[in-house]
Amino acid sequence: MKSTTNCKIVKILDLSDKQLLELSRKNVLSLSLEEMKAIQNYFKKLKRNPTDVEIETIAQTWSEHCKHKTLTGVIEYTEEKGSQKVRRTYRNLLKETIFKATVELNKKWCLSVFKDNAGVIEFDSKNGVAFKVETHNHPSALEPYGGSATGIGGVIRDILGVGLGAKPLANTDVFCFGNPNTVASKVPEGMHHPKRIVKGVVSGVRDYGNRMGIPTVNGAVYFDDGYMANPLVYCGTMGIIPKNKIEKKVNFGDLILVVGGRTGRDGIHGATFSSIQLDQESDVTAVQIGNPIVEKKVLDVMLKARNLNLYRAVTDCGAGGLSSAVGELGEKTGAVVYLNKVPLKYQGLSPWEIWISEAQERMVFAVPPKNKKKIVEIFKKENVEAVFIGEFTKDKKLTLIYNNDVVTSMDMKFLHDGVPKPTRLAVCKVKEEKEQKPVKMTSSEISKALRASLADLNVCSKEWIIRQYDHEVQGQTVIKPLQGNDIEVSGPGDAAVIFPYTVVRGTKKGIVLSNGLNPQYGKINTYKMAASAIEEALRNAVAVGSDVEKMSILDNFCWGNPNKPEILGSLVRAANACYDMSKAFDVPFISGKDSLHNEYSIGGKKYSIPPALLISAMGVIENVANTITMPLKNNGNKIFVLGITRDELGGSVLAKIKNIKDGIVPNVYPKESKEIMKRIYKAINKNLIESCHDCSEGGLAVAISEMAFSADRGVKIDIDAIKTETIRSMTIAEILFSESNGRFIVEVYPDNEEKFQEIFNCTVFSKVGYVNDDKKIIFESKKNKIKVQEDPETLLKVWQSTMNW
Amino acid sequence: MFKIEILTKKGFKNSHGKHVLSDITGIGIRNVIKVEYSPLYIIDGDINFVEAKMIASELLSDKIIETYTVNNHSEHDSKSTATFNCALFVVEVWYKTGVTDTVSESVMKAVKDLGIIKEMKVKMGHKYYLYGKISQTVLNNIATKLLANTLIQEYKIK
Repeated sequence: MKSTTNCKIVKILDLSDKQLLELSRKNVLSLSLEEMKAIQNYFKKLKRNPTDVEIETIAQTWSEHCKHKTLTGVIEYTEEKGSQKVRRTYRNLLKETIFKATVELNKKWCLSVFKDNAGVIEFDSKNGVAFKVETHNHPSALEPYGGSATGIGGVIRDILGVGLGAKPLANTDVFCFGNPNTVASKVPEGMHHPKRIVKGVVSGVRDYGNRMGIPTVNGAVYFDDGYMANPLVYCGTMGIIPKNKIEKKVNFGDLILVVGGRTGRDGIHGATFSSIQLDQESDVTAVQIGNPIVEKKVLDVMLKARNLNLYRAVTDCGAGGLSSAVGELGEKTGAVVYLNKVPLKYQGLSPWEIWISEAQERMVFAVPPKNKKKIVEIFKKENVEAVFIGEFTKDKKLTLIYNNDVVTSMDMKFLHDGVPKPTRLAVCKVKEEKEQKPVKMTSSEISKALRASLADLNVCSKEWIIRQYDHEVQGQTVIKPLQGNDIEVSGPGDAAVIFPYTVVRGTKKGIVLSNGLNPQYGKINTYKMAASAIEEALRNAVAVGSDVEKMSILDNFCWGNPNKPEILGSLVRAANACYDMSKAFDVPFISGKDSLHNEYSIGGKKYSIPPALLISAMGVIENVANTITMPLKNNGNKIFVLGITRDELGGSVLAKIKNIKDGIVPNVYPKESKEIMKRIYKAINKNLIESCHDCSEGGLAVAISEMAFSADRGVKIDIDAIKTETIRSMTIAEILFSESNGRFIVEVYPDNEEKFQEIFNCTVFSKVGYVNDDKKIIFESKKNKIKVQEDPETLLKVWQSTMNW
Repeated sequence: MFKIEILTKKGFKNSHGKHVLSDITGIGIRNVIKVEYSPLYIIDGDINFVEAKMIASELLSDKIIETYTVNNHSEHDSKSTATFNCALFVVEVWYKTGVTDTVSESVMKAVKDLGIIKEMKVKMGHKYYLYGKISQTVLNNIATKLLANTLIQEYKIK
């Protein structure tokens, strides 16, 4: 191997530890000393120095983004509860928690889990549905529009790259931002104002998703100042795939075809960059700009090629670019790539830049030589560039050639398995939660708190965002994000339902998508945060008519710096909650992703983001006709609350508004909840429920008000009839605003009352009121002489006015 | 090389300009009273003035609500609204070299579809006319906080 003008030899054989680290830092490799030493040893055995292409390839392949080193590495965990200490060593946290639950649940309808670009479950006898959620936080912090656009573009490609390619049916998006009303002077130097980030991120997702012709149907937005300099941008895509296209296999001799966008200097070091904390001098070339028109063309034409069986495997070019894509496909075989054959946007790229560039809209295919001509013809017809750049071999080596010079020659085994397992320490000191002092409020104070809750950034209407997205394109969205009487009067839907009748002719089945997220709980207790997020995602789906026994979930961890034991400790606890809840609800995880190192520095001081675990849920239902929305339907109908209301105000909206110290963070009682969820599905399918709404942020007061004002109807609620925990008597404010999990509010037609009650026999529920014909929302407790009365129209306006940009 | 500017015709709403104005007031700057926005295109290649005009009228502008200038030369009464009796600042924003510019890529393709099959390079930019009494510091603030992301774009104040 020789140094050429384009490819340099990196002398590492004789470097000291300090020099190795310096090399890693200077070249944005994000490799630890241990890893640098592993590389040094490997090349010592080969008796030569590596090239820059080789070093960069290893850095991309071993990046946290691609290898999930922290979650698959060794973790020495200590949990301290009072004076008690419990120690446990995890050899691989993911395999011992989240993945373990899936293996133990062993669902036959899980068709492909944790091995491909997305998780796939069964839709019907012939098709599967794939779902994947990704994050694109760091790029969105620097260039909100481009960052979020390429985030959604990337996750769509994940769905195109699952098996032999799925057809995308719907997108989801969940964001965490700093307070958009922050005074400009309070925004850290060099960072964008949160409002600019919100607007940029939303328009990025809007422009990319809408132009791809994929509806954006479900999402959430969460505001907290902890995300000021490091916003979180989660993008998800769901698609449908024939069962016989789920497996991919690369044979030696298959040709490597790169399709779609050209390669430029965009997004160099994206994969390694995501492991670096954000500060003012972040890397310019890490920014990617998306081009949905190119990706739309790739989507249309690749499904044609798939149906003609013209290729044996496909994957997308995401983080790490061609390096990761070809490396992944050729892991078991080996590959040789001629870098000068890769189509470029402009001249002047070094071989290593070509190899690791994260230029967007590219897919890599493994094509049997006999289909060589035909596949290129098909792509050409749609004006999509498709170029052969090499082939898969059987030598189990990665060979890269540039202008006839071999610039890389490494064993695939070293590349994929050579990364040393780091050992990290994790500590969690479990805080004891105390009950708050009884929260006593008068009727007018409750009124005020209700309005403030509805206007709170995390409860208020996100219509300004939702209306920018096309959530109807493809014409298959049955349950939509905004629900109500008309365009002016609408409330927040719990989940989305897609009816894929244009793809699966004659089907009655549907796909439910929902999510759960609550970083506020995580500030106190990450175990309960994770458990609550799982329950909330399931609850949202069940509220529209999903069958909890045919649901799957995805995890997306966004955490701070895992090198800090307390931060990693809080993650271990959340992962344990995932295992416990997955088992208890009998709902498997099918895919997931983590984004660690969400850390930023202001004035030299480092801050980690509040930990956030997004749970995205997907369910398959038998009959899309049996789905319901949340607005109240008819005067005179009865209102029931299902589930127990407990004294759980910790991390609640009321606690934030009223600055209440202490409080118990809502716990999850899976046995109780699951029984209710199962029965709701049964009742909806027997046509016994008119409307149903999940009870979460803001508690019963907010949820019931939302159901009423989205229908422009009144409702009369007897607070004394609400079933509460019996250990301690709760005040009226606590009953109305507690955020206990496991609760639903349902509306039942009087004639169905008896049958309805029969189904819910043996669970905790109570009839609490009825739909009122005088258009007043009334919460009354005769016992406590409390009467809160509001107009639906007024509350609707309060709810809508916060984000009316 | 031709520089094409697309302007909103008199009597029509310059909606992007209005959005920018609300963004400016949104970050607490009150002295800007009006904003107008024009997209800019630089076409560099072997084309003549007639072809440049054709690209501007057939491809880059909407004949009903927009008009254009080529190298600041216009055949129509192009300035969209009456000038205000106050200071005018002009900010131009362009992508830095090497940043993927998808609009320009589409323009290059569309020009070929128009039948002008010649080698050319296109660059797309944004021009903002700001009316109001503002200091240089505030203007710089607006430019860096709202109009340009200096990571990928550069701006010129005129």
